[in-house]
Amino acid sequence: MRYEYLTGNIAIAEASITSGLRFYAGYPITPTSDIFEYLARELPKYGGHVIQFEDEIASINAVIGASWACSKAMTATSGPGFSLMLEALSLAVITETPLVVAYVMRTGPSTGVPTRSGQYDVLQSTYGFHGGLVIPVLAPSTPQEAYDLTIKAFNVSEKLRTPVVLLSDAVIAHTYGKVAMREKGEVEVVERSKPSVPPSEYRPYDPVDGLVPPMACFGDGYGVLVESLTHDERGYYSPRTDSQRKLMWRLYRKIAESAGQIFEYSSLYLDSCDVALVSYGSTALSAQVATKVLRERGVRACSVKFKTLFPVYEEGLAKLLEGVEKVFVVENNTGLYYRELRGVLKDREVVSVPLIDLDVPPPQEVVEVVSKWL
Amino acid sequence: MRIEILIAGRGGQGILLLGHILGAAIAKYTNLHVLGSEIYAAETRGGDSRVDLVVADREEEADFIKVVRADIALFMHQLQLDAYESLVKDGALVFIDRSNVTSVPRRNWRVYIEPYTDIAEKEVGSGRVANVVALGHLVKTTSIVSPEAVEKAIAETVPKEWVDLNIKAFRYFLAR
Repeated sequence: MRYEYLTGNIAIAEASITSGLRFYAGYPITPTSDIFEYLARELPKYGGHVIQFEDEIASINAVIGASWACSKAMTATSGPGFSLMLEALSLAVITETPLVVAYVMRTGPSTGVPTRSGQYDVLQSTYGFHGGLVIPVLAPSTPQEAYDLTIKAFNVSEKLRTPVVLLSDAVIAHTYGKVAMREKGEVEVVERSKPSVPPSEYRPYDPVDGLVPPMACFGDGYGVLVESLTHDERGYYSPRTDSQRKLMWRLYRKIAESAGQIFEYSSLYLDSCDVALVSYGSTALSAQVATKVLRERGVRACSVKFKTLFPVYEEGLAKLLEGVEKVFVVENNTGLYYRELRGVLKDREVVSVPLIDLDVPPPQEVVEVVSKWL
Repeated sequence: MRIEILIAGRGGQGILLLGHILGAAIAKYTNLHVLGSEIYAAETRGGDSRVDLVVADREEEADFIKVVRADIALFMHQLQLDAYESLVKDGALVFIDRSNVTSVPRRNWRVYIEPYTDIAEKEVGSGRVANVVALGHLVKTTSIVSPEAVEKAIAETVPKEWVDLNIKAFRYFLAR
């Protein structure tokens, strides 16, 4: 392990190399481009490839192809680019293609304020693509978390054969911090499971005894079908209700039933807490500082920072916040993740603290809003 | 221990480089934790340049990326001194470039005022290293990080042909 002083964006790039990234395709966009530039310089040293395509649509499709050729593959983008990637993300979901999208949020809608921050795309990151399923979304709030969660994003994508979104924002992108960098062997790096049967018996979408089918890649000697139509275990088109039910529920369950394994959070003062400030991403920094100010004023406040946002770990969340009377959801948007949480935490008061700010919201503003609702 | 450091000046004075060297020295060569952010104007010279660092011995104390009440401040220009004075708390250690500042507010600070730019020009050989002259003064006075760590960070950050000049600038106050 060694320590470096990195921005959130460079931490993502470094961690992707640690995770075994071998293919990056992208189209430049603020505030994400330095991931691209850094990898263009560094990844070839590890035998990897970096390609700029004509747009984000081509980029994500190339990433899907690279993953099927057994390369760990990633792209990085921001709001307008992610919108273009949505159709192909749906393809990645039904073809169960492991890949990582680093989504560095900026102020929207549309081109908004391209260089500044916000958390407007938290729901789009998982619900944006068509088909009604959820993809895992991880949300760092510091360069160290950007590093650690990027590795986790690759591991989850390989383990569950799914696209994973690493949801950062413009503040974290250019925040510097001390980052503990892991060397090979110091951190778990998951590789996708490969078929154990001979090629003649291999069925590419047969989960065998679990929910995730072993994945043969092009060149492994197996017959591989990358099918976007509703398919059976062989990968053959099957326009039947029973096939659709079977496929949809397996794709749903493999993510939903992993919620507890994926879920990660950190907290301050949770063991003596009446009022929880729940937050994520760069806004979690404001919530942490606000929590300390509130405690100095005698409020039994705690802060809970979610490092993973989807799938929502419903039982876990309810249990985590068991003794808490009131939950404030602090975020830099109109109160989007609050809508997820109020359904999960039905038995107590959940208050939205939507602070729209081009930068990290000032902790004092969090204190003022929360104090009004105590 | 938790310390907020504010470094501010005009674009072109090397504020971001100074902040990066200090942050990297702390992150890489001490047990301290650090988070930092930069603000800079679109123009190459003349606009606001500012680096905020939050330094702490425990990771959970390095909890924010902006200065709320600075314990240590370095102002390289009058405009930023006037603009950010309110972010500096009473009792703070405040370093000021006398070459670019004529009026220091009456505050309960421990003020160290030296002509960093003049020193860089006349004693070190280039006004461009005024930032690192000031950094040497700050490091010597505050002992927040060892001079050796800063010199390593300088060597890793600055283009090769400028390392010796920057080390010379950094040692100006340390040698006194």
